[in-house]
Amino acid sequence: MIPARFEYSAPETLSEALRLLGSDGEAKVLAGGQSLVPMMKFRLAQPGHLIDLARIPDLNFVAEENGAIRIGAMTTHNQVETSALIREKCPLLAKTAAHIGDVQVRNRGTIGGSVVHADPAADYPAALLAMEAKVKLVSASGERMAGLDEFLVDALTTLLEEGEILTEVHVPLERAGVLTAYRTLVQPASGFAMAGVGVRLGVENGTITFARVALTGVGSKPYRATAVEQALVGQGAGAETFAAAAAHATDGVDALSDMHASAEYRVNLAAVQVRRALEDAAGSA
Amino acid sequence: MKLKGTYAMPAPRDEVWAALLDPAVLARTLPGCKSLQETGPDEYAMQMSLVISSVKGLFEGKVRIMDQQPPESYRIEVEGRGKIGFVNGGGAFLLKDAGDVTDIDYEGEVKVGGMIASVGQRLMDMTSKMMIKRFFTALEDEITERE
Amino acid sequence: MATTTTTPELKTYIGKRVRRVEDPRLITGTATYVDDIRKPGMLHAAVLRSPYAAAKITGIAIEKALALPGVKAVYTGKDVAAVGPVPCAGSMEDLRIPDHRILARERVYYVGHPVVAVVATDRYIAADALDLIEVDYEPTEVISDPEEALKDGAVRVHPEYPDNVAFTYKQAKGDVDKAFEEADFTCEERILVPRLAPIPMETRGVVADWDEGAKELTLYSSTQIPHLLKTQLALQLDMPEHHIRVIAPEVGGGFGSKCNVWAEEALACFVAMDLKKPIKWIESRRESIQVVAHGRAHVDTIEIAAKKDGTLTGLKLHIVCDIGAHHQLLTPIIPTLAVLMLPGLYKFRSFKASLVGAFTNRAPSDLYRGAGRPEATYVLERIVDKMARILGMDPAEIRFKNFPEPAEFPFETVTGLQYDSGDYAAAFHKALDKIDYKACREEQKKARAEGRLYGIGISTYGELCAFGPSPATPAGGWECASVNVKATGKVEVLTGISPHGQGEETSFSQMVADAFGIPMSDVVVIHGDTAKVSYGIGTFGSRGIAIGGSALHLAMQDIVAKATKYAAHILDVDADTVTFKNGTFSSSAAEQTLSFADVALETHLCRKLPPGTEPGLTATRFFEPSNFAFPFGAHICTVEVDQETGETTILRFVAVDDCGKIINPLLVEGQIHGGVAQGLGPAFMEGVIYDEEGQLLNGTMMDYAIPKARHMPWIETDRTETPSTVNPLGVKGVGEAGTIGSLPAFVNAVVDALSPLGVDHVDIPMTPQSIWRVIQERSRS
Repeated sequence: MIPARFEYSAPETLSEALRLLGSDGEAKVLAGGQSLVPMMKFRLAQPGHLIDLARIPDLNFVAEENGAIRIGAMTTHNQVETSALIREKCPLLAKTAAHIGDVQVRNRGTIGGSVVHADPAADYPAALLAMEAKVKLVSASGERMAGLDEFLVDALTTLLEEGEILTEVHVPLERAGVLTAYRTLVQPASGFAMAGVGVRLGVENGTITFARVALTGVGSKPYRATAVEQALVGQGAGAETFAAAAAHATDGVDALSDMHASAEYRVNLAAVQVRRALEDAAGSA
Repeated sequence: MKLKGTYAMPAPRDEVWAALLDPAVLARTLPGCKSLQETGPDEYAMQMSLVISSVKGLFEGKVRIMDQQPPESYRIEVEGRGKIGFVNGGGAFLLKDAGDVTDIDYEGEVKVGGMIASVGQRLMDMTSKMMIKRFFTALEDEITERE
Repeated sequence: MATTTTTPELKTYIGKRVRRVEDPRLITGTATYVDDIRKPGMLHAAVLRSPYAAAKITGIAIEKALALPGVKAVYTGKDVAAVGPVPCAGSMEDLRIPDHRILARERVYYVGHPVVAVVATDRYIAADALDLIEVDYEPTEVISDPEEALKDGAVRVHPEYPDNVAFTYKQAKGDVDKAFEEADFTCEERILVPRLAPIPMETRGVVADWDEGAKELTLYSSTQIPHLLKTQLALQLDMPEHHIRVIAPEVGGGFGSKCNVWAEEALACFVAMDLKKPIKWIESRRESIQVVAHGRAHVDTIEIAAKKDGTLTGLKLHIVCDIGAHHQLLTPIIPTLAVLMLPGLYKFRSFKASLVGAFTNRAPSDLYRGAGRPEATYVLERIVDKMARILGMDPAEIRFKNFPEPAEFPFETVTGLQYDSGDYAAAFHKALDKIDYKACREEQKKARAEGRLYGIGISTYGELCAFGPSPATPAGGWECASVNVKATGKVEVLTGISPHGQGEETSFSQMVADAFGIPMSDVVVIHGDTAKVSYGIGTFGSRGIAIGGSALHLAMQDIVAKATKYAAHILDVDADTVTFKNGTFSSSAAEQTLSFADVALETHLCRKLPPGTEPGLTATRFFEPSNFAFPFGAHICTVEVDQETGETTILRFVAVDDCGKIINPLLVEGQIHGGVAQGLGPAFMEGVIYDEEGQLLNGTMMDYAIPKARHMPWIETDRTETPSTVNPLGVKGVGEAGTIGSLPAFVNAVVDALSPLGVDHVDIPMTPQSIWRVIQERSRS
């Protein structure tokens, strides 16, 4: 449980971080360290150089701008959970952050680190996909924005190129009247979701006018359950609709299987959790 | 861990067969393959560098191809060892004509040991699925580019 | 601040919820654990372990590691061949003890088997050096499953033996076959009790320090048994015992896992003497999960016979115990405790039990909190519940029906144990009343009508603890205490037990404070240092207060007797007229009184030495119990199972425990709480998983689940107090009760919840997935 030798830098500006990252092929960015450090302790990961972003003040902020909430990559889960702005303007994200790991993890782990690590069972993506969030990727040669759906390529694999740093997550402000819920059943050792569901539901006069549903922990990457969404919109908000829609939770998804939960169980769990999350959201009005 | 699936390769069966058993093609398409050297009839020595997220593992091992029934079926046995653990696997490939495509049915079992077995279980299934996907995608690129 | 001039009333401490005196140093980070110890010139060791469950070692290349700057030495099995084998205390006639060396020689037998030790100037370099060692393994066939291991023709773990039987054990009484023939009903269940990793918060660790001048070896080890360890080290290292000192500094939990003699302990000593340098080795969490002897590891088949009125007449048990590849200290003994405690609280007329220990290519198993008794209680309480269901009896009724009456004590069980004292019905009634059993059954009716899966689980358990009479405890079962009263009236207690979380610094101080009428702060309790404490057995098997406390009690009696003589002499009265109460010596024949401190001072100054008396006020006493003590209790819980996800919600958990007389209820409750957590773990989430290749699959805290605060129910505790008759304090012991009593309550509750679906057993751990599968299967059929 002792990592291999590595160099350590703690730059105070993003440009310095990018320069360091570009100058060392063995370098790896360190955010909250909640995934990378354990891997290093097992020596499964042996980066030659860690570039710690913790001392860059510009990466830890929450701000409202142009109809979206911008969240700096180094904002901790606890800050996301407790931010008054996020709670008011993007409530699903704050609700989801409260479910991540435990208090210690939420105090150290960061939204940027989590999104970049792209664990297929991480909580954030379920909320961020349902909220159609975007991420900002910066390199020495420029910057680009990417939707989270395209950013998450596969398990532990993202669009991030060598020399790039994810600096911000942009979440559109919640629409008026939209109800939200996050629900998860976790594996008790790791706290990772065996099926986590983020739901946004718009209901007008008893009819569902808007639906976003995303799942994590079920497939090899978190995904939007568009078949569920389609089965909801235009229907009356109620138990029958929710149950019928939830049956599509894993349409086209090759469910994961591990010693904690078989694919069969995950498929069942996904449908149950989607239905219950929809009921939670509808009941939160 | 058991693995099973079908990949629909958009190429005629003979061509798919040839590619699957061509060491040069395999060296280019097997994820992380650094080198593949023939050591005997249908036996190869392989070096693989596995990179998944921050995890890097260098493996050295052997590949054996058995029970060839061209252009229909064969078996493969793989054995690899590295600092982070070891992998032993065996599988059967069955190639079926399916109109414009060749269906590659694969079924096998992978056994891992050492560090990766005791700390990496949660990621095993998704990692192997990802590796298979990477392999077939690369193989498809290889076959279709050749045309 | 205003001061008062009134004489503070002397407080008494026994029976009060006194806060632990140990805690301030623990929670402020000022306690000294092994890893806090630093010695000048200290080197750091790391151990390379086998990634294979079975392999021949065909070569070990250490040159690259030796060449790494900072590496001081590398040891392989042949380098440490002079060190004797890891000891095993088993004594069955057919016991096979394979040569268990501190580092592997020709073969490795399990994943984690130590192969090479590296010593370097710091732990980072030592860890780097491990990566540079190349071991050539030639993997051989693995036998991982204990039942497979016992089949004819199975691959042999140890090729020198004809099969994988490590030992067998049998016990029987009465005509059990006749009982089964004549029974109105019989039933049987095959019950799996998975391997559990002990997971103490502090992993193992040692610092070995060799004094070349004095030829003295000091080993600091995170151990529960410093004295036994010292004796064993003398044997392993072939050294005179009086040149070895073992110190157990602050020990961060053990749960039995540190009641052992570990390879790494002798290894560090050998290296320290070889290099003439202090050596530190600290176990990683991964090593801890991998190699620290797992507990339980049973496959049990239990059968029960009953008359239709619910009288239990016969019991049969067959245990296959997966002992792993090697024995540790108590490996073969632990499952025999399951046989002894099999009858639980019931008056069985006949029984037979057989036990086979199976060698497998897995890490050794050994004791873990409860050690044999949780296994016995679990299978018994399950099968009694199942029988109640068959008889159509309430599970509470069948239990009441078979308890011995209080007048029947001492009660001899069918396995030959003499239960000291008990009123089982009283504790059970109290638990039933506390949870309002009738209301729970009403609630269940209502829930079932609504299609909800609501269950009530009962466990009435007994345990044998306060280890123990010496003939029944491998290394001796007595305990030793010295009381040294200083000139200033302060008291030093030296005890042979070795607390590591139990809180005896607090409970012993309470006892001393009350006995001498002094404040607790005038007492210090010293333990865990073989150079300070003459000898002792250690802390395990819920024996601290029952045995160690009884020795202390005897020593304090001696002190009071001697002090009384002094007081009489000073007061110039007849000793018979002197009484000692609330810290004051007084006599009907004298006006003057003397405090405890006054007399203490006189015993040191010796201005007026009573004839025939020696100076000083010290006493050392040993206590040998006549028998084990037998605590008991009733745990009841209510649960609701989510039909769709398989999740179980624990609604209420009531624990009524009787551990005899209580010194400190706060400590007792703490033990129950911790114990219940370690019953809840295996019930719902824990279990070491090996694959058929002997690879341990859940080797990290990301995959091996133990209960966290959020998993725990509110524990409603209560007690009855039936004094033990086998020690002067009347105490029984409570360290393991929560673990033993709770597991069957959890499982019985879930099975009760699922019973409308026709379910009569669910194996543990009852994860949401496993419950969901049971529900799926049942609703399909």
